[in-house]
Amino acid sequence: MIELNRRHFLKGAGASGATCALASTLPGSLAALEKSPLKGVASEVASICEMCSTRCPIKARIVDGKNVFITGNKEAKSFGGKVCARGGAGHSLLYDPQRIVNPLKRVGERGAGEWAEISWADAYKEIATKMNQIKQQYGAETIAFSSKSGSLSGHIFHLAEAFGSPNTFTHASTCPGSYVVAAKAIFGTKMKRDLSNAKYIINFGHNLYEGINMSETRGLMQAQMDRGAKLVVFEPRFSIVADKADEWHAIRPGTDVAVALALCHVLINDNLYDHDFIEKYVVGFDEFAAEVQKYTPEWAETISDVSATAIRRIAHEYASHAPHAVVDFGHRATFTPEEFDMRRALYAANILIGNIERKGGIYMGQKAPGYNKFAGENVAPALAKPGVKGMPKPTAIRIDQVEKQYAMMWSNGGIYQTILDATLDAKPYQLKAWVMSRTNPMQTLTDRAKVEQSLKKLDLVVSCDLYISETAAYADYILPESTYLERDEEIQDKSGKNPAYYVRQRVVETIGNTRPSWQIFKELGQALGLEQFYPWDNIQTLQLMQLNRDHSLLEHIKKMGYVSYGKPLMLREPEMVTEFVKAYPNAKSVDADGTYASSMSFKTPSGKIELTSPKIEGMAPGRGVIKHRDVQLKQVDELYFIQGKVAVHTNGATHNIPMLANLMSKNAIWIHPITAGRLDIHSGDAIRLTSSVGSEEGTALVTPGIRQDTVFAYMGFGSKNKELVRATGKGIHCGNLLPNVIAPICGMNLHTTGVKLVKI
Amino acid sequence: MSKRYVMVHDENKCIGCQACNIACRSENEVPEGVTRLQVRVEGPFGEAPNLHFKYHRVSCQQCEDAPCVSVCPTGAAYIDENGLVSIHNDKCVGCMYCVAACPYKVRFMNPITKAADKCNFCKDTRLARGEQPACVTACPTDALYFGDANDSKSEVAQLLNTKITYQDKTHLGTKPRVYRVPTKRGGIES
Repeated sequence: MIELNRRHFLKGAGASGATCALASTLPGSLAALEKSPLKGVASEVASICEMCSTRCPIKARIVDGKNVFITGNKEAKSFGGKVCARGGAGHSLLYDPQRIVNPLKRVGERGAGEWAEISWADAYKEIATKMNQIKQQYGAETIAFSSKSGSLSGHIFHLAEAFGSPNTFTHASTCPGSYVVAAKAIFGTKMKRDLSNAKYIINFGHNLYEGINMSETRGLMQAQMDRGAKLVVFEPRFSIVADKADEWHAIRPGTDVAVALALCHVLINDNLYDHDFIEKYVVGFDEFAAEVQKYTPEWAETISDVSATAIRRIAHEYASHAPHAVVDFGHRATFTPEEFDMRRALYAANILIGNIERKGGIYMGQKAPGYNKFAGENVAPALAKPGVKGMPKPTAIRIDQVEKQYAMMWSNGGIYQTILDATLDAKPYQLKAWVMSRTNPMQTLTDRAKVEQSLKKLDLVVSCDLYISETAAYADYILPESTYLERDEEIQDKSGKNPAYYVRQRVVETIGNTRPSWQIFKELGQALGLEQFYPWDNIQTLQLMQLNRDHSLLEHIKKMGYVSYGKPLMLREPEMVTEFVKAYPNAKSVDADGTYASSMSFKTPSGKIELTSPKIEGMAPGRGVIKHRDVQLKQVDELYFIQGKVAVHTNGATHNIPMLANLMSKNAIWIHPITAGRLDIHSGDAIRLTSSVGSEEGTALVTPGIRQDTVFAYMGFGSKNKELVRATGKGIHCGNLLPNVIAPICGMNLHTTGVKLVKI
Repeated sequence: MSKRYVMVHDENKCIGCQACNIACRSENEVPEGVTRLQVRVEGPFGEAPNLHFKYHRVSCQQCEDAPCVSVCPTGAAYIDENGLVSIHNDKCVGCMYCVAACPYKVRFMNPITKAADKCNFCKDTRLARGEQPACVTACPTDALYFGDANDSKSEVAQLLNTKITYQDKTHLGTKPRVYRVPTKRGGIES
């Protein structure tokens, strides 16, 4: 792996030098501006990172007026004052000559890469005219709005609502959607994991040592190093988390659900589960217990290649550490079309040992209003939600609102890939335009060819981004957003076991002619004639509205960057509850067992944990009980193709950032030595992968760290538009090989498919 | 008493994420194409399923007996009062003897200063301000420790006393001051 990295590192360094001249010809780019020293806004500013969606608390310092040094904010204890490589490279993005710093308008064919600069006023006017025309002719719902979920996504979705379109989409169905929806079906709310206190951790391909989420990555390492926790990893590839594990099981791709159900089978049949917890807080146990009878470890072995002996042993070891043991429910949740039941089965294995609201288990978290109620006093200020009155109610249905089984997704980010069917096949009705912010569906939605056709067919495509991403390359207008180091934003709730808030603040004055997206979508809204829905001037007005005009509190949060309140509280953890009650004399009285267990409230129809869900049964008959279903992920003569994250890049977003591109600009294809030997493939050889939807050429990396029947690539590489000079044409484009799939209930797309491998 | 600055790299905790590399680059303005520090993830070694990676920190080893210093014809390469192998940029004539002599292959010519360059534990930047080196500050999993080994109360002194460590290429007699805690594979099949 590293030999390739090193070679690419050197090559990358040379290549980026050679492309400077080319980049300077790109209209609207930073290269077109004269370089002047950075102007910082304070000596050191506490803020929030945006190099990935974890959004770690950071501190940034201007060095000599020409550089920004970024570290973590130590106020956020679980983040340890740390940043990853991406976070540390924020200034490389800020200063990148290829970043777009002036609005652009397409002047050639869509995707041809011919651009002209345009003023903000003209861009707004032209876009608004077109949008209003489409609205009059076809209806507001024919314009889809999509954005990476996050701090400013609320602003583009506010515009959609004001405009009258119900069609808003986040990236949920391409990444976390199924574990969120599965949690909501079972618990009525999202769950958090308390990795740092766990004594036994079972991990199904949640590669926290490459897909870095600072507080969880640190929590996992602390559990392993400081508390001697055992880590068991099921993953088809020998990833870094597999390397750091005590046990690595090279599970067959997409069969995690079988192993999870077999673990549940052993927990139930060997009487290792928490009877008392199940009786008091869980409904639907009997149906689930009856269903898992057939899911023996021996059965699971035939499906997953994980030995039955290992599954039995792991289930016993896991139960022996209850309740301070956890089955990690994962993050990039796109392994199988049966994602919904896979994630539910992972939650079930937690519920059975009663680790809910226990140290080292999973928990619901404490935001200010609930926490204050337990404390009997106002320990933490609650954030106000400044709503706007009289927002129009859309008359049309959402494009993903056809089948009732997807009902939970409609309010959880939607099914992103339905934009393709609505655009290309008018299902359920014809889309006419797509307005997007900080999203790169050409990389992150599957079936790139279909995404390209969709972008070419629409009447209007608008993209708000930092670069001319592979998707922005097909836009009619590119509205350049300021980087996170140049933006102020609303206060964010960062509560965990106790309430906490943090805030993004500008570190340097804006370079070039960019704007924060809250401003872009407000000004576009005004150009559309929707000014009545924008009763605020700027971010500070919004921040003060959130804090009920408490100026000193705002100053405090801004100064510290991250503020937490009270003591950590997990409702069934006796020690924590005792400490909590000691600290707050008016605290709610505890149960006989010294906990707040009876105060747990689950927002499910029954008010309990629904191991079996009548609500889901109503949405999709036959799906109330967690089940295994056979799926075919590849043809017999194909290899599985899977992807994953690398620590130096974020999905489809960072591959053109100079420092990160220099670290890694290509993704080699991991091939097992036996598979490679059969085809006479050696490391460094050129190879081709062909799937049902596309074909990609890349470079082989022959390694024992992958199953014989599987090939692997890090995702996000191989951009095909010419504007991303450091990323274009380097490595294979994973999205181009993945078919467009909509998984039942959770609407996830799918990142496992079959490919044919040949040497070229 | 003079200081004896040392670095300890715990390979059990290192995840090869390159946060150290980027932090070093950012703090010390290391130009594109050259590097003072990287962690090479080597392997996997062994036979499946008992594979393992090696996390190899590649940077100046701060040798007590430094070949780069003994070959330098102009005195540009020197060891300072705290034992840090350092460079007088203005005395460097770019002969690259040091680059050739370094057994760890971590010296390079800086294309901006035109002088030899390498890790100096952030001596001119963070150390001068009383801070820890950039790599230590950034490391997400706390795999790096830095301090004065002459101070028996320091974290590094205690680590060196209580953990098994090794140094690279000690047979050459360079006496490196970068110590490594080797990977300890955990128990399997209980």
